Amino acid sequence: MKKQIITAFIGIIVAFLAGFIIMALQGYNPAASYYQLFSYSLFSRFALFTTLNKAAPLILTGLSAAIGFASGAVNLGQVGQFLIGAMGVTAVGLWVDLPAPVMIPLLIAVALSAGAFYAGIAAFLRVKFNMDEFITTLMLNFLAGFFTLYLISGPMIDEKMYSPMTPMINRGGWFPQFGGLNFAFFLAVAALAVIYFIWNYTKIGYEWKVMGRNALFAKVGGCDNQKNYVRVMLVSGALAGLAGAIMVLGGMQHRFVKGIDANYGWDGVMIAIVANNGVIGTGLYALFFAMLQTGAMGMELETSVPSEFVLVLQAITVLFVVASRESAHLLFNRISVLLRLRKVRSQERVSKGDDSDAAFD
Amino acid sequence: MQLLIELLRSTIMAATPVLLAALGGTYTFYSNIFNIAMEGMMLIGAFMAVLGSYLFGSWVIGLLFGLAGGILAALIFIIFAVYLKTDEFVTGIAINMLALGGTTYLLRQIFDVKGAFMSPEIVAIPTWKIPLLHDIPVLGKLISGYPFIVYVALLAALLVQFHVYKTRFGLRIRATGEDARTVDSVGVNSSSVKSISIFYSGILCGLAGVFLSLGYVNLFAENMSNGRGWIALAVIILIQGRPLGILLMSLVFGFFEGLGLTLQGTAIPSQFTQMVPYLATLVALYFYSREKQTGVEVEEVEAV
Repeated sequence: MKKQIITAFIGIIVAFLAGFIIMALQGYNPAASYYQLFSYSLFSRFALFTTLNKAAPLILTGLSAAIGFASGAVNLGQVGQFLIGAMGVTAVGLWVDLPAPVMIPLLIAVALSAGAFYAGIAAFLRVKFNMDEFITTLMLNFLAGFFTLYLISGPMIDEKMYSPMTPMINRGGWFPQFGGLNFAFFLAVAALAVIYFIWNYTKIGYEWKVMGRNALFAKVGGCDNQKNYVRVMLVSGALAGLAGAIMVLGGMQHRFVKGIDANYGWDGVMIAIVANNGVIGTGLYALFFAMLQTGAMGMELETSVPSEFVLVLQAITVLFVVASRESAHLLFNRISVLLRLRKVRSQERVSKGDDSDAAFD
Repeated sequence: MQLLIELLRSTIMAATPVLLAALGGTYTFYSNIFNIAMEGMMLIGAFMAVLGSYLFGSWVIGLLFGLAGGILAALIFIIFAVYLKTDEFVTGIAINMLALGGTTYLLRQIFDVKGAFMSPEIVAIPTWKIPLLHDIPVLGKLISGYPFIVYVALLAALLVQFHVYKTRFGLRIRATGEDARTVDSVGVNSSSVKSISIFYSGILCGLAGVFLSLGYVNLFAENMSNGRGWIALAVIILIQGRPLGILLMSLVFGFFEGLGLTLQGTAIPSQFTQMVPYLATLVALYFYSREKQTGVEVEEVEAV
């Protein structure tokens, strides 16, 4: 764990340095830009709350990817599951009008099942026809993208607006705000806690973990891998679906707008990767990514570095953190082998009573 | 008749980027590298091609820039995956994200636009009218007058087939894919064989990108590769790497994309016609997996 924190810091620092150089080469003021990046994401209550709100979908898509990868289910369909989840709550939110205490739980249930349903298609194709979920989920992403685009620019369009979007959902489905902090954040943290509990303290979580480490071992040990695989895919999809839903229920617009998915799906995949599929790590990196994305707006405002720069910064952070983790792993291994070798040698010498060449060691 | 010719022409045009990217992926397939960075390599290639062509007013510079873009992405892949031992899957995802973010960023930084950059000053790849054939009524229309990269792509399919199966280097690539340690033990550096195969795949994906932004259309749009790198990967997996099979399969996908485009004038909403190539990939995967599955117990879930 300590090793992981150290390598994470090394990776992040190297990535920031690389970002520093890129900005400097393009004639921006990197120091001022970084200061604004932090100042607009952390240094005031409003900034901090904006970051936390931004983190909510990232935590969920990150968890979705992490739990899949850690169990050996390569779900890359967060984008599609996100869109279907968002579309599900939009559709229900438009036609159903109930008071908030009933409506919000209903919509959350809709979101979870819509995402699980969409991931379930890929799981079905895998179990039934042995189709690799890694490609099917990707293709399903595109299908979901086109399908939702069709709905919001045709049957469900708000004709008063100039770009494709649905009308606003009914008032009862809007998430409450607590002094600027959206309910979505608490929901995401709750989901994180639930997943943490399942992962670490239940039998099924243990079975998933074993399946991810060694599927054959899990099978020999008596786990039903197929059933567990389907469950993991459903849970993973449900989390991504919930992420989509909170962008509608807890967003500014309370409707499905074109481009609502931004890059949340792939950000989630990156977060899971950089956190090495750990649950707590996923939460922390989701906060870090949210901080970058929130701060980027301020950076653009103050030092005119285009906010898209953080997309670059995120990708190089992933590369450097993972690279430093894996090379550190190799380095530690080499060092420990050397140390052990030395110990063995000195023991040999002691047993022979010969220490003439000890000085050369 | 006119419609049929149009359909066949758009088939060939749409097949070309998938074919080039898949040929690039062939090298990494045989050296057993899980290369999912083709999407990103293509996108960087496409952006750089527009940049070069626009700045220097020459498609040659555009082409060179595009290839350099593909090579740059390949070098990043080599440094991280081969030498720093970063997971290939992770490296691939990161390169794709770097490509998406980087091109979007530079689009704003250099051209000051969001979404797409179009300009009459972007010089497109010239089309090639085959001297005698061009004047034959139907045949000429069918096989002549494409951007010349189309012909390069067809030639490349043959060359890659030859390179991988008939040359010493091809043998080394395949051997590295089979068992890298054995290759090392006979004195061939498997890391450099891997690096070279990634390098080739960068060049071919870069070329696919050049075709996208200077041949297929004449502009650069955010995320314009739009899953073609993924489809190329699906093609490679379906065909198990045979370059000539990849040629055929790419044409099939090109046909479906072309069909989607042809159907766009009809009453079917364009979003549905655009789904066709992705649906076709799923269907192809279905037939492939079903065939593979017969007589074999359902494979265990594999870890990443």
